[in-house]
Amino acid sequence: MNTHESNIAAPGLEEAPRPSVVSVAARAERTPARETPPLADEPVLVFEQVSKWYGSVIGVNQVTLEIRPGITGLVGHNGSGKSTLMRLAAGLARPELGRVLVGGLDAWSWEAKRNVGFCPDLDVFYEEMSGRGFIQTMARLCGYTRAAAHRRAEDALLLVGMAQRARLPLAGYSKGMRQRVKLAQALVHEPALLLLDEPLSGIDPVGRREMIAIFHELARRGTCLLISSHELDALERLTDRVAIMAAGRVAAVGALTQIRDLLADHPRSIRLACDQDNLLARRLLEMDEVVGLERTPGGQGFLISVRGRDFFQKLNRVVLDENLEMRHMETLDESTEDILDYLLGGRPSN
Amino acid sequence: MSEPSAWRAWFYLVGHSWQRLARARLMIWLSLGLLGLFALIVVVNHQTGRMSMARWQMPRRSGVSYQDHLDNAVKAGSLLWTDPAQSIRFAVTGAVGGAIHDASPFYIFSNGMIFSVFATILLPLWTLSFATEGLGRPREVGNLAWLLTRPLPRYSVYLATFLAALPWCLALNVGGLWVLCAAAGTAGERAFPLYWPGVLWGTLAFAALFHLMGACVRRPSLTALLYALFLESIAGNLPREFKRLSISYYMRCLMFERAEEYGIRPQNPSIYVTVSGATAAWTLACITIGTILVGMWVFSRREYRDL
Repeated sequence: MNTHESNIAAPGLEEAPRPSVVSVAARAERTPARETPPLADEPVLVFEQVSKWYGSVIGVNQVTLEIRPGITGLVGHNGSGKSTLMRLAAGLARPELGRVLVGGLDAWSWEAKRNVGFCPDLDVFYEEMSGRGFIQTMARLCGYTRAAAHRRAEDALLLVGMAQRARLPLAGYSKGMRQRVKLAQALVHEPALLLLDEPLSGIDPVGRREMIAIFHELARRGTCLLISSHELDALERLTDRVAIMAAGRVAAVGALTQIRDLLADHPRSIRLACDQDNLLARRLLEMDEVVGLERTPGGQGFLISVRGRDFFQKLNRVVLDENLEMRHMETLDESTEDILDYLLGGRPSN
Repeated sequence: MSEPSAWRAWFYLVGHSWQRLARARLMIWLSLGLLGLFALIVVVNHQTGRMSMARWQMPRRSGVSYQDHLDNAVKAGSLLWTDPAQSIRFAVTGAVGGAIHDASPFYIFSNGMIFSVFATILLPLWTLSFATEGLGRPREVGNLAWLLTRPLPRYSVYLATFLAALPWCLALNVGGLWVLCAAAGTAGERAFPLYWPGVLWGTLAFAALFHLMGACVRRPSLTALLYALFLESIAGNLPREFKRLSISYYMRCLMFERAEEYGIRPQNPSIYVTVSGATAAWTLACITIGTILVGMWVFSRREYRDL
């Protein structure tokens, strides 16, 4: 067993025995469809000019996207095409145009599904089964022997923090427990690509921290995770790499900061306060980057709109030249929500 | 750590799907209840002597019964006749009448239960109950996604769910036929060996068709019910070659041929022109295999948006 895997545990599970999840390399050896494990910089999931219609409604429109090992967030409003993209990657839908490849294989093909673990948004199980029975069944349906399926189910349940609670029928599970079971079934065959559709919804804050830790651990082991979520704060804590979807298209891809840089022409709002507000305001208005300035309602400091990348360097120079004592500086629209709102045309997010 | 095997997964899926159907307890109890009800009807008719010509009256409801007619013939035959030919004539009439009477339970059981109730209602109903559920139920509930995201070819998922439903359909139809035949006494003993091949082939063809409906239409049970009780009946009663669109037509042809020597034939043979048993069996086999292949093809290409 690989040593780093013996450290896998969600927070709060320190007393539990460590899961014997085999290493990523060993997993790749076992998986016939993936003879050689993908390199770290190789895309695991590729969308090539993918378009998908539902009758006259377009689901995704000429999407080209590469998802590499690590965590990638998928953000967008309802109807933006996130779920369609997930379904395409999971092989539940086929594109009308373009192709979707998982590890070089058509995502619709059954061979590709060996490399895919899908945690759907749907909340339907075989309700009379226990959580453990369900995971074992999913493992058996992946082609494992009874013994191997039992072992894998235990490992997966331990990883998601359900090992002690998985003997009860699924019908009695809370939303959070059901989310964990869904995650466990996606993990049970140790896929290279994990597709997680709203995996954090319905989970309490403690559980959410545990889940995020699990995602980070999986990413550290080389698994590629594509996580869709409306909860941008949670997604921000998971990753800074996002694909932002709007109206069936990928509006932006990359690190949030990169996206922000790409949006340099978009005015940013900054709240400033110092010991000499008037002097600072005068110097700021001399800058080309500052396109607006107004006093804050309380009279302390002011709110400025800036454009361009060099603003903070110039601000530093002014502060040093004038020997100002800065009391407050806050960028107001740096969050994912604001970037998303800007990209999506200012619509409120869900 | 053992290698995952698609074959192993497929065989497991067959068993898993069979177990899922076994979970549909309401459906099983309803089917068994229906079987019990009709078995009871057969038993009561058999025990009270209603499953023979003995109570048939001519004119209907007011005339002398067939049993009385036979008794009278026997009495008349025992009279002292001066003409020996007349005596022989009465003896022969009595013997033929007795033979017809003895054979009548099989005739009545065949026409009154097997063809009118079992082949028309029970067999399609039991078959659709399980055949549409193999894929239709997971589609309606929404847990089909768990199967479609497993590393199994879609056509193999279709085939596995069909094979899982088949034992239920066969057990209810062939087993149900056996129960009804057992309840009918000697008439049933004669009927079962004659009719089970037709029931078997009919079950296979109906199951394949209803399973396809489960994969294709949104409310497969209702659609299959409408098909079985209306379209099959309508198609089966259409003149000339149109009735050949009906699965039950071929099933009945098989059954008619096997029971022909016992006087079982269509009520109006000039209109209900049958095909040979071999043709009927081949046709049902082709329908079964063809429908399965079409279903595998459709299912391997079809998207389910509501999953």
